[in-house]
Amino acid sequence: MKTLIVIPAFNEADNLAQLLPQLCAAVTADILVVDDFSSDGTVETVRNQGLTCLRLPLQLGAWGATQTGIRYAKRHDYDFVLTMDADGQHVPHEIAGLLKAANNHQYDVIIGTCPQRVSRLKKIAWRFFKIISQIRIEDLTSGFRVYNKKAIDVLADKTASLLDYQDVGVLLLLLRADLKITEIPVKMDIRKDGKSRVFSSWLVVFKYMLQTTTLCIANIGAKKSQ
Amino acid sequence: MTTLTIFIIGAVLSVSILYLVRKGKLHGPYATWWLMVAVFAIVLSSFPKIIDWVAIKVGITYPPTLLLVVSVSFILIRMLTMDLALSRKEQKIRRLTQRLAILENDLNKSDSVHTDHNVPD
Repeated sequence: MKTLIVIPAFNEADNLAQLLPQLCAAVTADILVVDDFSSDGTVETVRNQGLTCLRLPLQLGAWGATQTGIRYAKRHDYDFVLTMDADGQHVPHEIAGLLKAANNHQYDVIIGTCPQRVSRLKKIAWRFFKIISQIRIEDLTSGFRVYNKKAIDVLADKTASLLDYQDVGVLLLLLRADLKITEIPVKMDIRKDGKSRVFSSWLVVFKYMLQTTTLCIANIGAKKSQ
Repeated sequence: MTTLTIFIIGAVLSVSILYLVRKGKLHGPYATWWLMVAVFAIVLSSFPKIIDWVAIKVGITYPPTLLLVVSVSFILIRMLTMDLALSRKEQKIRRLTQRLAILENDLNKSDSVHTDHNVPD
C-alpha cells in the first residue's frame, strides 16, 4: 500500500524544520510538501531534509496546494493520501492510527478530529453549517485526513479546483460521490493552533461564512445518502 | 435630437469595436456581442417607431419602459456569463499552476537521474 503524506505550506520554514524530522522518524510513507508560493526558505528547508517539495508558481491557498498533492498522488499511483498541517498542530504519532483505519477499507475518508481545539465562536459556525448542509460530521474543518483511491479520484478532478477551503465544500463533494466518511478522535497540539488562516480577521471570517453558506445552500439535495 | 445622439453613440461604438478587433484587442465572441449592441443602437435610433410598435404588441403603454427593461435584462445576462467565463478561467489557471508544479518536480528528478549516470563510480 503506497501512502503519500501531503503537507501544504505557506511560510512555514521554522515549523517544518521542527516537524519533518519527527515525521520521518514516525512514518515510513512518502512525504510531499507543497509550497504555496512562500517568501521564506520553505523549499530549501524541505529539500535539505531530502524530501520532495512542489513549488507553486502562483499562490493558490491551502486547498489549492493540497489538491496539487492529491493530483501528484494520482499521477504517481498512490493508494492513500494523508493530509496534515505544517504548523505542528497535527502530531506525527497519530498518523499510524489513521492509516490503520484507512487500511480496513470500510471507509473512503478518515478524518482525525479534535473538537476540543476550537473556540466557541467556531463551534457556533460549525453548528450552523451542519444544519444547512445536513452533514453529519463533527469536525468540519480538520485538515488531518486520509483519502483512499476513490476519494483521490473525486478530489483530483477539476470540479474540486474551484473550492477555496478544505472543509465543507470538499466534504459535500465527497458525499455527493457517495463516499463513506468516518471520524477518529486524535490528540492535537492545541497550543500551535495560533494563526488559523480562515479565522484571522473579521473581514475574512465574513467572506468565509458567506461563501460557505452559499455553497451549502447551492448543494441542498445534491448528495445521495450519508 | 436624442435620436441623433443615440445614432452617433451607436456609430462611434461600432467603429471603436471594429478598430479594437482589427488591432487584436478584442477576442472573437466578445467582439460579435458588442457589434450587435452597436447595430441595435443604430437601428433603434434610426427607426425609434420600432420600440413603440413592439411595446403596443406586447401590451406596454409606456414604450420607453420596454427599452429599459430589455436593456437591463441583457446587461444582467451578460454580467452572469462574464462571471461564468471568469470562473472557468480561474479553474484553468489553478489547474495549470498545479500541473506546472508537478511537472517541474518530475523534470528536476529526471535531470538529477541523468547527472547521476554521468558521474563515474
